[in-house]
Amino acid sequence: MSRRKRMMKDLDQDIRDFIERETQDNVERGMSSEEARNAALRKFGNVTRVKEETWELWSFVWLEQVWQDVRFGLRVLRKSFGFTCVAVLTLALGIGAITAIFSIVDAVLLRSLPFRSPSSLIALHEGLPKMGYPKMSFSPPDYAIFARHQRSFASVGVFRDEHVDISGEGEPERITAARVSASLFPILGAEPILGRNFTPEEDTTGHNVTILSYALWQRRFGGEAGVIGRTIQLDRQPYTAIGVMGPDFQFPLAGPADNGSPAALWVPMALTPAELQGWGGSYFNSVVGRLRPGVSLNQARAEAQSLAQVIVAGYPGAIADFARHGELTIIADPFQEEVVGSVRTLLLVLMAAVAFVLLIACGNVATLLLSRAAGRQKEIAVRTALGAGRVRLLRQMLTESLLLALAGGALGLIVAFLGKDLILAVVPASVPLPRQIALNGTVLAFALAASLLSSLLFGLVPAFQVSAANVQKPLQEGGRSGTGNGSHRLQGFFVTAEFAMALILLVGAGLLIRSFAKLISTDPGFRPDHVLALNIPLPRQAYASADEVREFYKQLLEQASNLPGVNTAGISSDLPLNASELVSMTIERGEGATRPPEAIAQSWVLGNYFQTMGIPLVRGRFFGPEDRLENQPAAIVSASLAKKAWPGQDALGKRIRWGLKDPWATIVGVVGDVNQGPLNAPLAPHVYRPYDQLPAAFLENDPFGDWHALNLALRTQADSASLASAVIGKVHSLDRDLAVTNIWTMTQVINSSMSGSQFNAFLVGTFAGLALFLAAFGVYGVLAYAVARRTHEIGIRMALGATKGDVFRLVLRKATFLTLLGIVIGWAGSLSVTRLLESLLYGVRPTDPLTFAIVSVTLGGVAALAAYIPARRANKVDPMVALRYE
Amino acid sequence: MSTKGQQERLELLQGTLDLLILRTLLLGAAHGHAIAKAIEMRSDEVLQVEQGSLYPALHRLIKRGWISVQEGTSENNRRAKFYRLTARGRRQLAVETSKWDKLAGAIARILMPAEQEGKS
Repeated sequence: MSRRKRMMKDLDQDIRDFIERETQDNVERGMSSEEARNAALRKFGNVTRVKEETWELWSFVWLEQVWQDVRFGLRVLRKSFGFTCVAVLTLALGIGAITAIFSIVDAVLLRSLPFRSPSSLIALHEGLPKMGYPKMSFSPPDYAIFARHQRSFASVGVFRDEHVDISGEGEPERITAARVSASLFPILGAEPILGRNFTPEEDTTGHNVTILSYALWQRRFGGEAGVIGRTIQLDRQPYTAIGVMGPDFQFPLAGPADNGSPAALWVPMALTPAELQGWGGSYFNSVVGRLRPGVSLNQARAEAQSLAQVIVAGYPGAIADFARHGELTIIADPFQEEVVGSVRTLLLVLMAAVAFVLLIACGNVATLLLSRAAGRQKEIAVRTALGAGRVRLLRQMLTESLLLALAGGALGLIVAFLGKDLILAVVPASVPLPRQIALNGTVLAFALAASLLSSLLFGLVPAFQVSAANVQKPLQEGGRSGTGNGSHRLQGFFVTAEFAMALILLVGAGLLIRSFAKLISTDPGFRPDHVLALNIPLPRQAYASADEVREFYKQLLEQASNLPGVNTAGISSDLPLNASELVSMTIERGEGATRPPEAIAQSWVLGNYFQTMGIPLVRGRFFGPEDRLENQPAAIVSASLAKKAWPGQDALGKRIRWGLKDPWATIVGVVGDVNQGPLNAPLAPHVYRPYDQLPAAFLENDPFGDWHALNLALRTQADSASLASAVIGKVHSLDRDLAVTNIWTMTQVINSSMSGSQFNAFLVGTFAGLALFLAAFGVYGVLAYAVARRTHEIGIRMALGATKGDVFRLVLRKATFLTLLGIVIGWAGSLSVTRLLESLLYGVRPTDPLTFAIVSVTLGGVAALAAYIPARRANKVDPMVALRYE
Repeated sequence: MSTKGQQERLELLQGTLDLLILRTLLLGAAHGHAIAKAIEMRSDEVLQVEQGSLYPALHRLIKRGWISVQEGTSENNRRAKFYRLTARGRRQLAVETSKWDKLAGAIARILMPAEQEGKS
């Protein structure tokens, strides 16, 4: 028995007892027993009220009233089933969309990195801002100096991506490896689950040890514990496996520009003496440090900056000038920033887009509620007349809104779950987002919060409107309950706001779509059709001498050229859109004067590379057999470089050299510009050099492995992809253990370089479409309802001689006004919001008038279409029927 | 009879009634009727306890933990509910009494000068 029930039973007994005693007293005073009892009862007062008062004392009155509201609300919502369905579905779309995007934002931006106390992990970069490198990774000697002198960090570590062939047991395959310093895993707080970490001693040359990732261990070694101590062939060299990392450990993390490929295994960084002498180059090593406790990021930044001066001071001779001229800096940023920085803008844009969608959905439900409230005026008036307080009515209305929002939220979770998977399924490889995300507690809490907030957004105004309703008017008006003026104006406000927000979203989507269109129509500078490209890396130890490497590629080129179906063939150290070698070059301005070194892309080519790629010759000649190692170094420059370096002069015969000490190369030709990176990146000047003239010492040292991993390009007669197996056959006839990677048609390369832009346009476009649909539905709903309510009025107008055209215009006038107002407000909003998009755009400005025009016309057209149906219905009103209704 | 007026009167009475009940129970446990009688008698019949409001007040005090209720046998061998002051109730009585004193004193101070002004 509940306490309340027990107390109430006690009370009954007590009251009986009290009245008996009082009666007894009265009898003692001389009353008759009946008189005495009546007097006692009179004196006690209203027994029921006393019980009620006490009952309330022991109950949670408000909770019971809420339950009452909920039951009543459910009944009301069930009664108007159509309205409920539309409202819940609308909200489900809005809440689902924002929850789906939030789940990605939560996983990427809000969750901290999966390492020990990630907030004190700092990414360090060098920069030569005056030479066009605002932010780059460290060069080995600079890292060594920094690591030796710094005091801000408890420890610093360095790592770098590499690709290696793993062979021995099973098929040879090309995998991503990372060279990591022995200090790195302890900095991250990561321990092997099997075996051990690298020792500092192993972090020096000559120790062939490796730690495996969990995935590689499972896939290639069946998850056997016995793998520790086993010998594994990496690039045909024996390595001893000393550890296995846990299943959740991933490093490097995807996201940063350099060294952002999760590795399948790790080897010691073991910087070689040659690497440590590589002053002023090889800025390819990522550095991460853990702040010493008590040291702030700003202190670390200040120290890093002063160490940059120490580093420059230590540079030998001319390289010190070069570094001083470039204003060498050291940049320290939170590691988290480094990892997620590149997708932050995209995610914020998406979050803003879905927020607009949700707001529009709320606007729709609010107008529906207002329409319905107009129809409920009589009910409300009756309830008010019967004594319902305003607060109670307000609560009742808000409870209904809350029920709608919660139902919408529940359904929205399903939408979010499916939507999130849909989005992640189309994330292109170039966008560093996780491919799988689970809906967790945070996301559920967010969906709940979004539902609650929505219920206020769409419910508060209609609730006030309803509860403030005049008691007398609706009752006096009898059956003719017309919509109040206030209600109309509020609906207009919501519809206008919806249009304004839809316009902003459409402008955003329009700008992204125009960017994508611009990208597609951008001339990449080469002819991608019918070109097949394959990357053929040679294991460095197996091809140690420069002659061996050159011989292999020459034979491959010859054999591939002779394949049936191949028109021309060429080889290059990098492919268009994927240039990896960015070097500092000195340009001779004539008569000994030079420009300071600047960043220029450099490619080493062999065979008919230009003809194969379809890169046009502008002046001079392509490379020929005369450009051999022992002859005068030759170079071909891109047209933009020729124009920039020697404005108004002939570039042919001018000279250029790598760095400050290399021999001068004479320019023998000028070719068309080719995009080195994504099509939306600005063109960089480009220098092509004959692979034959790459000095043997460079080729044999090859710090990045680029010169051991050349790309074979074939221009084919028919479908280029079908030739792939024939080419791989040729590769294996030369060396059957080689792993061929990255087999692409150049069309695929182009498409994949545009995939990020396509992804942005697709996502924002989808949300904008959703917004447009919802806004159109909103204006349709308002007008349809207004026409239905005004049937009587329209009937009178027609009876008094209004033509069908008059009626048509009457309805459309309102729609036109709301739409135009919404568009104008939307313009103002777009101008201030689309700046957020700027970094995602290409070739269009955020204020692009064409986009604004097209979008406004589209929105206007859709609004007209949505208004047309109710206007037609108004037109068909039969005055006789409308008036008979009275 | 306006609803509002009644509510105000009730509110004013409530606090006072709680104080009187606590004070009465300081003398020992008592049943409902005895409490009402005691208040009337001790105030020389000036204060008429609205008997209906006695029970909600008692229950309110139980809920707050200031009094407890027990089954007992009364003087004429009848079973009845006996209300008893708890330790917390005793402390509360001290608080309420001092509050009341302050209130009464303050009101008295405001009223007194008026009389003196009249005299001077």
